[in-house]
Amino acid sequence: MQLSPNLPTGSESLPRLDKGARAWELEPHGHFWRASFMAMGSPCELLCETDSKADAQMLARIVINEAWRIEDKFSRYISGNIVDRINSAAGADIKVDAETAGLIEFANLLYEMSDGRFDITSGVLRKVWTFDGSNRVPSESEILSIMRHVGWDRVSWTRPVLKMPKDMQIDLGGIGKEYAVDKVTGLLREQTSVACLVNFGGDLAVTGPPEQQASWQIGREALQGPSASPSSLIQLQAGALATSGDTRRYLLKDGIRYGHILDPTTGWPVAGAPASITVAADTCVQAGMLCTLARLRGPEAESMLVDEVLQYWCTWP
Amino acid sequence: MTRKKNASISATLATATCALLGTAPAAPVCAQEIDRWDFDTSLLYYGEDNSRVQDASIGLLATRDFLDDRSLSLGLTVDALTGATPSGANTQPVAQTFTRPSGKSVYTTPANELPLDDTFRDTRVALTANWQQPLGRMYSFNVGASASKEYDYTHVGFNARLARDFNNRNTTLSAGIALAMDDIDAVGGAPTPLSPMLDVGVLSNRMDSESKDVFDVVLGVTQVFGRNTVAQFNYSYSDASGYLTDPYKIVSVVDGITGDIVPRPPTPGVDGPSHQFLFEGRPDERVKQSFYGQVKHYMSGKVLDASYRYMTDDWDIESHTLDLRLRWPLGSERYLEPHLRYYTQTEADFYTVGIVDGQVLPAYASSDYRLGNFDGITAGVKYGWKTRNNHDFSIRLELYQQRGDIPANLLIGNQAGTVSYPDLDAVIAQFAYRF
Repeated sequence: MQLSPNLPTGSESLPRLDKGARAWELEPHGHFWRASFMAMGSPCELLCETDSKADAQMLARIVINEAWRIEDKFSRYISGNIVDRINSAAGADIKVDAETAGLIEFANLLYEMSDGRFDITSGVLRKVWTFDGSNRVPSESEILSIMRHVGWDRVSWTRPVLKMPKDMQIDLGGIGKEYAVDKVTGLLREQTSVACLVNFGGDLAVTGPPEQQASWQIGREALQGPSASPSSLIQLQAGALATSGDTRRYLLKDGIRYGHILDPTTGWPVAGAPASITVAADTCVQAGMLCTLARLRGPEAESMLVDEVLQYWCTWP
Repeated sequence: MTRKKNASISATLATATCALLGTAPAAPVCAQEIDRWDFDTSLLYYGEDNSRVQDASIGLLATRDFLDDRSLSLGLTVDALTGATPSGANTQPVAQTFTRPSGKSVYTTPANELPLDDTFRDTRVALTANWQQPLGRMYSFNVGASASKEYDYTHVGFNARLARDFNNRNTTLSAGIALAMDDIDAVGGAPTPLSPMLDVGVLSNRMDSESKDVFDVVLGVTQVFGRNTVAQFNYSYSDASGYLTDPYKIVSVVDGITGDIVPRPPTPGVDGPSHQFLFEGRPDERVKQSFYGQVKHYMSGKVLDASYRYMTDDWDIESHTLDLRLRWPLGSERYLEPHLRYYTQTEADFYTVGIVDGQVLPAYASSDYRLGNFDGITAGVKYGWKTRNNHDFSIRLELYQQRGDIPANLLIGNQAGTVSYPDLDAVIAQFAYRF
């Protein structure tokens, strides 16, 4: 509800490469201005604590341009970008730019740290696994045939050149959103002292505490979608929160629940993993990767987070 | 944060993230989970001397925070009241007998003692609910409801308030309204105002349940002056209408020369009042206006909280209230807070110590000491401390002294020697715990 019809809710649009106009909105939200838009398949928002609409617009443009730049560059759905070129190289060498190399380097490290369970070539498993709440568990032979196209160890990576066997694909979606949040937050810090919160589909970071209320308040259910059980309210003054998990995405067959996190070393969902984990860390990338690494450990997820002396919130199915 | 020896995952990730983003984190993460529910609990004892009113009260306020500065609070208070209150009848050099409010029996006050109605005993349960939320960027809004029930009184109320920030949020203007609809089911039935106290078993002057409505409007401005001072000013207008009389208070019928209460011939075989008393009668409307100012000033750790209220109404009562508190920190976890409050009021224009026998009845009359001319002083201290897990405790101890006088022009004949304002001393002790 708005009391003043003069309060702006202007929507503007920026050109997009292939899918027509991308819309965004700026509207007052409590003590903040809130810019909202879609990127990387998720609802995204910027909250900034300023009374000036012009300042809010300026900050929103920074955030939106960077988010859409990263999406355009790394989305596996956009033809012609670096990910598409790698995925369609059919065994040829691809030389990548420095930013892409940084992400691949980072993914390579995660692969090693997770004993092969974090694997950017595992996206093709989604061809046989669709977590829609049904009982359609793929057959062992379906899984085996798709597993022939999975395995980072079969990719040759010598910075800046990547050589990947034909019929394999990489997907940077497991890092992209967190990476975008941190990049955007860094840009905001350079541009303004206004307190900002950047939330891309539940992965979020803040530039600092808001003046009016000492900390940002984040409901954990807001990080997980409306079907998650309402639980914690988290106050954040600095740093980032990321959440891994979606309580709605699973399969159920013969009384066995298959959560949506897949182990690329077996081709099967990780058994006994938490439904969702939220971790607080200095950056959104760290928080997000800790969530993912923990969930890949299945029932041991929490003990890893405890050992790491992390602040986390865990929901079991 | 200390990390365990084998905690290499976070450290490795931190280094790799630095390389990926090309910068070190701007600041270490600072996050806490907050309790969605806050509970304020309190135990309060209020005791008047000479076995007058004693009140033991338990209070619970639960507040739930939602996102975006929205909050819900729910309150419950249970009071157990016992003791006696001055009935309004004058002290006499002879014993006086009164019919109880129920009309079922009598009680006697010895000579030279202040007549107290000792049937005062009640349990009160009160509930409140309040919802607060921002509206747009500059407004905040809250709505609430309240209800309470005691043996002879039922209250239902609603309130709403809208506030808007201005001037970089240094100024807040607010407007609020409140509506109360109360029912009075007096013990034995509410008496017809200014009708006589009758014999036991005679309830011909009693009425069914009565009602009272109160409408309040409050306009306020809050102003921040620099980092250390915030001030508030409120104007409030209150209109109460309906049965505003206290059904248990009485007025003496006195001799026009001596001022003594006129004896009442007994009805053979039936208990009844020894003297002539009338049930009090007040106007059926009361309009109050009050002006309230408060300043909170922070000075190197100490907080001074000073407020003043001026109230005037169409019953001719004027009052002034001055309230001072100083919160004095003792280290970071403890504080001491002395409190001093001074209150003074003039009597209502229908306040009297007796209606002269044989004269035409006035439109309104009351001898209720609360409508008289008196001063009250409250002095006390609160001591509070915070536990390691951020729970707050406090203990408050206060003494209240109320002294009044009856204007000389109201006193007739012997009354100057026998009738005086019923002074009051009380102690207030409170224990509060917030978690």
